[in-house]
Amino acid sequence: MPAITVDGLTKSYGQTLALDDLSFEVGDGEVFGFLGPNGAGKSTTINVLLDFVRPTAGRVEVLGLDAQTHSREIRARTGVLPEGYRTYDRLTARQHLEFAIDSKGVDADPERLLERVGIADAIDKKAGGYSKGMAQRLMLAMALVGEPDLLILDEPSTGLDPNGAREMREIVREENERGATVFFSSHIMEQVESVCDRVGILRDGEMVAVDSVAGLRESVSDGTVLRVTVDRLDDEAIRSVRSLPDVSEATVENEAPPTLVIRVDGSKTDVLSALERQGLEVRDFSTSEASLDDVFRSYTTEVNAR
Amino acid sequence: MSAETVDRGTSAPSSSINPESVGAVAKKDFQDAVRSWLFWGLSVFFFTLLVATTGAVAYFGEDLAAQGATTDVLVGFVSEITRLIIPLIALVLGWKAIAGERESGSIKILLSLPHSRKDVLLGKLIGRSAVLSLSLTLGFALAAVVVAVLMGGFDVADYVGLLGVSIVYGIAYTSIAVALSSLTRSTTIAGAAMFGVFVLFYVVWNSLSTAFRLLADREVLFFDTVSYTTEFQGQEVTVERLPEWAYFVINLDPGEAYGRVLTLVTDVDTIQLQSELDAQMFGGELPFFLQDWFALLILVFWTVVPVAVALYRFDRVDL
Repeated sequence: MPAITVDGLTKSYGQTLALDDLSFEVGDGEVFGFLGPNGAGKSTTINVLLDFVRPTAGRVEVLGLDAQTHSREIRARTGVLPEGYRTYDRLTARQHLEFAIDSKGVDADPERLLERVGIADAIDKKAGGYSKGMAQRLMLAMALVGEPDLLILDEPSTGLDPNGAREMREIVREENERGATVFFSSHIMEQVESVCDRVGILRDGEMVAVDSVAGLRESVSDGTVLRVTVDRLDDEAIRSVRSLPDVSEATVENEAPPTLVIRVDGSKTDVLSALERQGLEVRDFSTSEASLDDVFRSYTTEVNAR
Repeated sequence: MSAETVDRGTSAPSSSINPESVGAVAKKDFQDAVRSWLFWGLSVFFFTLLVATTGAVAYFGEDLAAQGATTDVLVGFVSEITRLIIPLIALVLGWKAIAGERESGSIKILLSLPHSRKDVLLGKLIGRSAVLSLSLTLGFALAAVVVAVLMGGFDVADYVGLLGVSIVYGIAYTSIAVALSSLTRSTTIAGAAMFGVFVLFYVVWNSLSTAFRLLADREVLFFDTVSYTTEFQGQEVTVERLPEWAYFVINLDPGEAYGRVLTLVTDVDTIQLQSELDAQMFGGELPFFLQDWFALLILVFWTVVPVAVALYRFDRVDL
């Protein structure tokens, strides 16, 4: 049974379509990276999983239960690190954790939990005086209360320094080894690639790729990334480059100077001459092996040529 | 689902009310609010209010003391002030209860945990009511010592009655405040709603009595006056009064109900009411909805109805 099933999920706010017929599954015991640029709809999806917002259409199941009618039971078995939260300034870390422990009706030691996230020394300090990173660690500790079957972490590295982000990934790994499914969102590829079994890339409310990290890498491993600086951007030219048999992706990376990123398996000269045939002047170009970041960029950057 | 994964109460539908959940939310909200300057400010305020009133009564009212009517006067004075002040304080305390958490995002902490939205709403109402009640009780209790010294003893029953009715009155307004706070995500709109409630009951409702009488004098629509006879200086005279429903509407004001319940609970006769009612006006007996015990129901109404509407509505919105 999958830990999360999203089927045809659509959510619109008035005229704005936040999620458009989104479907994906997260397997039991898997670490799933939910990737996409800011505003792609990651938080909206998580808000639906937690029943903070109601879908316009579609079906969502978490831990085999309907996300709307069984939300309480889902949340009893889920640890959540929300995005855009605010801690209770006048309450200490201990009180925050005691609240989570009371709420879940479990037995847990606030001190142990705070040790795990590395802020045990601040246990009796009021959260109002915490830095963003400390607040984030406190929220992670709250999410760990009661050994949840599922962890939903929304942009967990927010406010953490590189060291903190590494510790966070370490905890994700430990929780996964314990048996928990981990679903976490990020807008930064490198944060997910080292811990995730699979990655889903969301763009404009639609899932544009779901694969293992290895698979995503595979899909571009024998490709070369060609960066071309031209004198101007032209829709027609990009379309003609895309139509070349060896080109798998062509996107605009930059508008000033106008730069195109093109993933190509074969001849680079073909690409350059195709551009010139369309009347563009090639001012500079460089090549590199495709990194996961390029994959992410190619999936999430809108072609925006004039 | 296997039985072992089902925690206490969590197999209930998501929109249900779980008393333990409500308790956890109320406890957290109380812990949070009790540490705010607002709470301590309130307690000091009530204390000062009572002590100042007592001082004034003790100083100016020596002849009253001689008549043994000092507690009466004190309760009368204080209730006039608390009638105006308690709603203000409840509205200020409840204003951000839900809207503030939605605006700041801290409600995501509450609702990431296995609480239903109804649990959150009720927990908030209980938490805020507890804060208001505690600050009233603290203020009254501290002041009791001073009052006893200044007045040389006082009527405990009347004093406790005033406190008890004040708490019930405060909870009614807290319910109105928390309910309105749950209808919006903007604390600005919530604040405007609190101001609206204030205007409604302080300005609009308080002028209803006069407005009805003016309309009745001009015989507008159904504002017919009713004539009744009464004895005035030994003579039978005929007087006009408003129709019964007009008195009913005027008495729906929580402040009016507060006054009536106070006259019921304490035996103080100095409490002033918007609509003085006299059994004679109604041919010997007051209609049931104008009797003092009904005022208690009106306070219960103002506690239950706003929160019931909010429970229904808050379950159906996007956060």
